[in-house]
Amino acid sequence: MELINYVIYASIYIGLVATTFYILSYFSGNKKEKSLYKDNELPKVSVIIPVYNEEKSIEGTLNSILTTNYSKEKFEIIVINDGSTDRTLEIAKKFESKGVKIFSKKNGGKGSALNLGIKSAKGEIIFSMDADTFVTPDSVKDMVRYFKNKKVMSVSPAMMLYKPKNILEKIQSIEYLLGLFLRKTFASLNAIYVTPGAFSAYRKSFFDRYGGYDEKNITEDLELALRIQSHDYIIENVPEAPAYTVAPNRFIHLLKQRRRWYYGLMKNLWEYRKVIGPRYGDLGMFVIPVAIVSIFFAVFVTAYMFFKTIFNIRDELVFLSNINFDFKSVLHTNFYFIERLIFLFVTNPIVIFLSLFIILSFFYLFYASKKTGKISGLIINIPLFFIFFAILFGFWWIVSIVYIMFNRKISWK
Amino acid sequence: MADRKIQSKKRYVLAFLIGTFIFINVFFLTYSISYFEYQRISSEQQQLSYDIFKDELYYSLFDKNNCSLSSLSKISEDLRFQGSIIDELEKKLGKNNQGVLFRKKFYSLIELEHFEFIGKMNDKCKFNISTILFFYSNEDKDIKNSESVGRLLDSVYTRNNDLVIYSFDINLDDELIIGLKKEYLIIEPFTIIINKKIKVVDPKNIEEIEKYLS
Repeated sequence: MELINYVIYASIYIGLVATTFYILSYFSGNKKEKSLYKDNELPKVSVIIPVYNEEKSIEGTLNSILTTNYSKEKFEIIVINDGSTDRTLEIAKKFESKGVKIFSKKNGGKGSALNLGIKSAKGEIIFSMDADTFVTPDSVKDMVRYFKNKKVMSVSPAMMLYKPKNILEKIQSIEYLLGLFLRKTFASLNAIYVTPGAFSAYRKSFFDRYGGYDEKNITEDLELALRIQSHDYIIENVPEAPAYTVAPNRFIHLLKQRRRWYYGLMKNLWEYRKVIGPRYGDLGMFVIPVAIVSIFFAVFVTAYMFFKTIFNIRDELVFLSNINFDFKSVLHTNFYFIERLIFLFVTNPIVIFLSLFIILSFFYLFYASKKTGKISGLIINIPLFFIFFAILFGFWWIVSIVYIMFNRKISWK
Repeated sequence: MADRKIQSKKRYVLAFLIGTFIFINVFFLTYSISYFEYQRISSEQQQLSYDIFKDELYYSLFDKNNCSLSSLSKISEDLRFQGSIIDELEKKLGKNNQGVLFRKKFYSLIELEHFEFIGKMNDKCKFNISTILFFYSNEDKDIKNSESVGRLLDSVYTRNNDLVIYSFDINLDDELIIGLKKEYLIIEPFTIIINKKIKVVDPKNIEEIEKYLS
């Protein structure tokens, strides 16, 4: 057996044990009673929206957050204009009459804008919200309820994609939906180590005690989540509270986003390496180690498959030239051929394992649709995801690792 | 501060046991499917050998003047299919699996019987059925090249009517194969014998083969 087969089987085995563990944890976590705020107990909330040249989406985002059914007396919206050079400020100012507070500053990055917002905020609970994110009227209230437990320092929503249109967006939409089950499972283990920057809630007292966002960090949301975990607090998740974000729709933009995320993940995990180990329970003993191992396998297998595909294409071209490009003879099929193909498929353990994981993915998607409502476009989006995501995932990671290895700098935008 | 203890050690043990159970059972399942296929191929091989021997005997005993070969295409396809499945079974059940080794030897025997029969029909009925004997090797260092020549022959087969290809494992420890190698002076794998006369070693292009086909 080739080395690559050992690597693939090892990754499948770890994947099976991890998946089983997560499913067991989900059902176990589901049984636990949560302490939640009732409507009359809900604390004051501040939603901070840092904006930098968001003229296309800021209006929709503000309209969306203004539809919240949270008590108006306990709710404030703060827009921090981070030195926009387009019409963002002008559009935002139209909402001042609806109670939206607007502050302007010199461009300094998302972290610095959020920190200014935190200083100005009156709420006990702080929401960070991107200017291209949309929420449902219940999302804020459903998330804030979880802060009744004083150990809870952050609550994340069910992050989903806003109206995916092209192939890249459709692939990402499935990735986000599949993540909902895992995020809830991680919450049941208190092992969430990323809170979505697009829409998440935090207890203000945490910022007061441990400082605001790390302004130099390119994944400040990730750093904040790890900081919360490192201080032994809880990060919750509410799959019933959807938040829709706009995803990169061009390959290069998506690559830049993922490169920033994964580069940031590696840097922050190294900075907070103390959370790996038994001291941090399931997070340190299982969730983060399994994530690291999975990334290693994904990178190894993608790199191998990439080069193997290149060599296979070369071999195929040589073969086609050897048969004078007689495609008819290559495409010739009959019952024997199909029977042999079926035999090869059903006797290949990797194909069986892949089928199992695909079936499992359908359960994850069923869970997502049950929690967030009807999801459209699955018939097209699912095959696209299974065909392309693994290749893209490996590719993004390889690029990010190369950047880390050569100490290349990555900026937020 | 939250309680950072591992929630449940039992859950880890259970996940390990269930994961391991599924992992092992998938291998068991694929092995079982291979074994069922082995049994199915064994029974089909009996039927194929029966058909070939019956055709040959019927022709020899009662119907020497009948020059019809209606079952040629079916038998030829059956032989190709069985050969490929036996190769796959060898990969899945192991090179030293006695059952598969026996099927492989029996398969070679059927092929040679059919090869002889086609030879007789060509002589007596003046048919133009071409034959190719292909000697491959399943040794690790030879597999890639064997598969390349095999694919080339597949293409030649689909492009040419009245052609039967017989493939033999050059390393098979069988008297018939040893005799065949002596007869055609086969010393290396990837060698093909066209119409009992022409020897081509490691062909790279279909033209190297097709130029000798009648």
